[in-house]
Amino acid sequence: MTGPLIARRALLGTALAAPFIRPSFAQGSDPYVIGTLFPMSGPNGEYGKLFTDGAALAIEHARADGTLRRPMRIQAEDTQALPQQGVIGMNKLVNVDRAHYVLVGFTAVSKAVAPVGDRAKTVMVNGGAVGPDLAGLSPYFWNVIPLAHLETQAFLPFLIRRNLKRIALVYVDDPLGDAILGLLRTELPKVGGELAGTFSIPRTAQQFGPVAARVRQARPDAVYVASFGAQQAQIIKGLRDNGISQPLIGYSALSISSVTSIPEAEGVIFTSQKFDYTGGSEITRRFATDFKARHNADPGTYNANYYNATRLFALLARELERENAAVNGDSLRATLLRVREFDLVGGKGTFDDQGNMSAEIQVNEIRGGRVVPIA
Amino acid sequence: MLFLQLLLQGIQTGALYALTAAGFALIFGATRIFHFAHGISFTLAGYAFLFAWNAGWPWWAGSLAGVLAATLFGLAMERVVYRPIQRHEGSFFTVFVAAFGVAVVVQNLVGMLAGRGFASVDTPLSRATEVMPEIFLAPIFWIAIGVAVVLFVALSAFLTRTHAGVALRALAQNPDLLRAYGLSSNRLSMLAFALGSAMAAPAAVLTAMTTGLNEAIGHHVMLISMAATIVGGVGSLRGAALAGLMLGVAESVALQFVDTQWAEAVSFLVLFAFIIFRPSGFFGVVQTR
Repeated sequence: MTGPLIARRALLGTALAAPFIRPSFAQGSDPYVIGTLFPMSGPNGEYGKLFTDGAALAIEHARADGTLRRPMRIQAEDTQALPQQGVIGMNKLVNVDRAHYVLVGFTAVSKAVAPVGDRAKTVMVNGGAVGPDLAGLSPYFWNVIPLAHLETQAFLPFLIRRNLKRIALVYVDDPLGDAILGLLRTELPKVGGELAGTFSIPRTAQQFGPVAARVRQARPDAVYVASFGAQQAQIIKGLRDNGISQPLIGYSALSISSVTSIPEAEGVIFTSQKFDYTGGSEITRRFATDFKARHNADPGTYNANYYNATRLFALLARELERENAAVNGDSLRATLLRVREFDLVGGKGTFDDQGNMSAEIQVNEIRGGRVVPIA
Repeated sequence: MLFLQLLLQGIQTGALYALTAAGFALIFGATRIFHFAHGISFTLAGYAFLFAWNAGWPWWAGSLAGVLAATLFGLAMERVVYRPIQRHEGSFFTVFVAAFGVAVVVQNLVGMLAGRGFASVDTPLSRATEVMPEIFLAPIFWIAIGVAVVLFVALSAFLTRTHAGVALRALAQNPDLLRAYGLSSNRLSMLAFALGSAMAAPAAVLTAMTTGLNEAIGHHVMLISMAATIVGGVGSLRGAALAGLMLGVAESVALQFVDTQWAEAVSFLVLFAFIIFRPSGFFGVVQTR
C-alpha cells in the first residue's frame, strides 16, 4: 500500500468519524440549552412574548456578568397553550435538543409535559401557570410563581373587607378554571362569602353577551374571571358591554396589556406576586431599568418570573461549574435543595422541598391602563 | 325575560354569522372551491378597520378599508393559489391544504404586525342599556340587523337582476355550458371571490366593535361559516344566511336550558342533526342515486 493511499484513507476515515468525535471535544463550549414551551401563536401568543422577553434579558445579564463558562441559548417550541402541542415540544426538547432546563407556562401544558420531563430527569420551571396542583407535580418541576391557592388566600379576606361576598365565577373549562372553581367553593364559605353562580366557558368561546345575561340573574357582588389570554379581555368587554356593572376581579393572568389597555378593564381588581421595581434590590432595579430600555415599557409579573426562572438556572449552573460537576436534572435539583435561597428579582427567593418559591402577594387595580398596587 | 334577552342577543350574533356564512356559501356555491381561508378575509377586514380607526379615519373610510382588504385577499387567493392548483389536478385535498397553509401564514403575519392579543374598537355603540326591565340592548344590535338586511337584499337583487349575477348562478350549475356561451368562468370565479370575501367585512367591522379581535379569530368564523353552509344547503345563499342566523340564535337561547359551557356545542349539535336527518340542508337539492 502506497503512502498517498494510506494518507487518503486516513483522511477519509477521520472525516467520517468527525461527527461522532466532535461532541466530546465541543461539550465544553457548547451552549446550555434553555428550552421554552410557550404559546408563540394563537390567542395566547401574547404570553409567549412576555415570557420570552424575561428569559432573554436574564441570558443577556448572565452573559454580561460572565456568570457561566458556557453561553446559554433559548430553544423555543410553540405550544399554542395546548397540552398536546406541549408534549410534542417537550419530547423534542428532551430527545433532540438535549435541553438542560425547560421553561413552561399554562396549567394544562405544565401538567401534560411534567411526566415527560420527569422520565428524562429534566428540570421544568413554571413562571406563568397557577393551578394549585402544579406543586409537587415532579421533583424536577419547580414553580417561581405563587400558585392560585396562595393568591386566593390573600385575596378573599380583601374582598370580604370590601363587602364583596357573593361572587359569580366565569371560568374557562380547563385545569386552571377547575382549580379556581374548587378553591372558591371551599375557601369562600370559610371567610363568610358564597359562590353566587358558576359559569363555565370553553377555551374557544368568543360571545359573552348571553353569559352576561346569566351572570346578571345571579345578582353577584363581584364577578371573578378565571381565564387567560385574549379571552380574558373578551370576557371583560362582553360583561361590561352587556350591563354588568359590579366589580370584576381575578388573578395574576389579568396583568397582560391586552387586558389593561381596554377601557372596560378600568377598576378590575386582581392579585399578583409583589414586586417593588423602584425601591427593591439592586437586581430588581437593574432588571426594571434594562427591561424598560430594551422594550420601552415597564416590566410585568410574567417578565420578572421568567427572568427569575432563567437566572435561577444560571445561579445553579454556576455552583456546579465551580465544583466541575455535570449540569443535569439531578445535580440542578440537588443544588437547589442545598442552597434554597437565591437573589432574584423581587428580593430573596426561597424554595421549599418541592421546588416551589414563596412570594408575597399584592392586590392590584387597573387604573388608567396601568396596574396599581392597592393592598 | 332571560329568554327574550338571549333571543335578542342571538339575533345580533346570528346576523353577523349570516353575513360571513353567505360569503362562504357564495364562493363555494359558484366555484365549488372549499375556501378554508375565508376566515382570514374576516380577520384582515377587522384589523384593517381597527388600524384605520386607531389612525383617526372616519368609520366609513375604515369600513371601506376593511372591505378592500377582504376583497383583495379573496382575489389574491383565487388568482395565486386556487387557479394554479385547478389548472393541474385541483383535488379537494390539495385545495384544502393550500388554503389551510395560507391561513396559518397570514394569521401569524397578522399576529406579528398587529400584536398577539386582544384588540377592539372602543365605541359607545357596543354598550348596552336597559331598554326594558332586565332587557339590555346596545345600538349595535340595530346596526347589525340593518346591515345584514340591506346587504342580503342588495345581493339577492344583484344575483337575480343583473347579467353578472345570473351568470354567477349559472357558473354554479354548469360551467361548461357557460363557456359554450362565450362567458369567462375565470372572470366569474373572481367575481364570486370578490363578492364573497367582501361580505365578511361588515361582520368583521361589527365584531371589532363588540367581541373584539385576535389573530386567531378566523378559525371560529370559518367553523361557523362551514356549519351554516351545510345546514343551509350547499350552494344556497339564502340557506346559509338563514342557517347562520339560526346558529347564532341557537347558541344564545340554549343558555336558557343548558350550562354556559354548552353554548358553542349547540351549533354543532344542530349541524349533526342536519347531517343525519336532512343532509341536503334547508334549501339544498336532494341527490338521488
